[in-house]
Amino acid sequence: MIELKNLTKIYPSKTGETVALEDVDLSIPDGSIYGVIGLSGAGKSTLVRCIDLLEKPTRGQVLLDGEDMTAAKKKRLSELRRSIGMIFQNFNLLEQRTAAANVRFPLELNKTPRGEAKQRAEELLSLVGLSEKAEAYPSQLSGGQKQRVAIARALATRPKYLLCDEATSALDPTTTESILQLLKKINRELGVAIVVITHEMKVVERICTHVAVLDRSRIAEAGRVEDVFSFPQSEIAKQLIIPNLIRSLAGSGGSKLRLVFRGGGSGEPVISGLAIECGIPANILFADTRRIDGKTFGHMVIELTGDQKQNAAAREYLAAHDVIFKEEL
Amino acid sequence: MSDVLISLFRDNTMWLGIWQTVYLTVLSTALAYAIGLPLGVLLCTTGRGGLAPVPWLNKLLGAIVNIFRSIPFLILMVAFLPVAKAIVGKSYGPAAMVVMLVIAAAPYVARMVESSLKEVDAGVVEAAKSMGANPFQIVWKVYLPEAKPSLLVGAVIGMVTVLGYSAMASTINGGGLGQIAIFYGYNNFKDDVIWMCVFFTVIIVQVIQEGGMFLAARTDKRLRAKAGRAKKCGRK
Repeated sequence: MIELKNLTKIYPSKTGETVALEDVDLSIPDGSIYGVIGLSGAGKSTLVRCIDLLEKPTRGQVLLDGEDMTAAKKKRLSELRRSIGMIFQNFNLLEQRTAAANVRFPLELNKTPRGEAKQRAEELLSLVGLSEKAEAYPSQLSGGQKQRVAIARALATRPKYLLCDEATSALDPTTTESILQLLKKINRELGVAIVVITHEMKVVERICTHVAVLDRSRIAEAGRVEDVFSFPQSEIAKQLIIPNLIRSLAGSGGSKLRLVFRGGGSGEPVISGLAIECGIPANILFADTRRIDGKTFGHMVIELTGDQKQNAAAREYLAAHDVIFKEEL
Repeated sequence: MSDVLISLFRDNTMWLGIWQTVYLTVLSTALAYAIGLPLGVLLCTTGRGGLAPVPWLNKLLGAIVNIFRSIPFLILMVAFLPVAKAIVGKSYGPAAMVVMLVIAAAPYVARMVESSLKEVDAGVVEAAKSMGANPFQIVWKVYLPEAKPSLLVGAVIGMVTVLGYSAMASTINGGGLGQIAIFYGYNNFKDDVIWMCVFFTVIIVQVIQEGGMFLAARTDKRLRAKAGRAKKCGRK
């Protein structure tokens, strides 16, 4: 488990200080895929770089399985870093080395015997589906292939954690999807916990089990994806997760309900049922469903146009059909 | 062709001069790199934002390098004759000349090495750090191999510069084409001797330049991508 405690990072600047992170507390459970999402400048990259101590936090602790990395001596820090792999937006491959030699690089650093390193590189390249490109140089690879090599390289030392700093932001949608599936496979098959820094909601939707929403250097909210996605509490989370919802609530009118579908429920024709069985006309103001982690999740905002009694009946009907709803306005 | 020039070819003085020029240039450049390369690595790594920032050391080394680089070679040569004597026992001859060339070229090499290393993508260095590489490993396994093509180009420029200096250094009886041009040509009013020496010097420079560039291009694994990009630009 990686735990961040009161993590604060302040950069000195000409006009005083720039606070990049303020009192960030976060626990990344083993085996999870933890998304950290936020707008540009929210402090996402600083956060991930602090986990690896590429940036030294101004205050606070980074605990790796209970051991404080910020207090570790240089040599111990090098060892701890080997249990955390990292991939980057720009891949950061060694341009003068072949794909296989790039994967062997971290093994050379910890003086793994040559034969063993060679075999490990072959295994990893086959894991990421690039066996036939082992002898290619980065300049001969596409963006997606480069990121695969980077992933193989990050996994070479059998880390328990993998940090992804905007790893798919430079890739097209199809390639992004294939990289995300690869990360998921790595999480599932190797049990590596993954921290995904991104500004794209769909990345979190596709693979994450947990999410933290970062806003202006602070964590606005964090938790399991289905919880945060179903009931975003903070303004920023609502903005990121259901941007159209806020707009749909703006109009005036009858009482509005936000229905939340949490896996499976959205297959039933609840709304038409509402109209047919109860005879209550519901005006759909907004609807958005998506599949996360194989289950269907969604939001729908309806406006109940009936009188008090009818509306109460509608609420009962919804509750009876296991639809979670929340009054809005 | 004057008699002097003909006799220079006959008694092999000219060929010996060419050999000496090549030999002294290569030797001096190699020794200049022995000092300049570590110095350049230190300049790059101890600087602000470098691998292991040591500001005072960086400032000190930078100042020393700048001082040596701002002294014109001719003056440096005269001023450091006692140093050459202390090192090789003589203040004249080929050995003294090598000392002069190394003193002049090492700071120059250091700056070129520094700039080559600074071209290495900071992201790659960061990636190596995140894998637990120590500063020594980063220099050895990231900076130097990644900067290799650029370092080779720098070495070519350095070698040609040393060759130019070596002509001047010939005046302290160091040997080589420079000495032949002065002693047999200029002092004897034989212009053809001077021009013949210039001709051979040009040939040597060409060989170093083209050979070095060929080597640099061949070792650079990024070249394919560059060629591709160039083509794209061409099509536009």
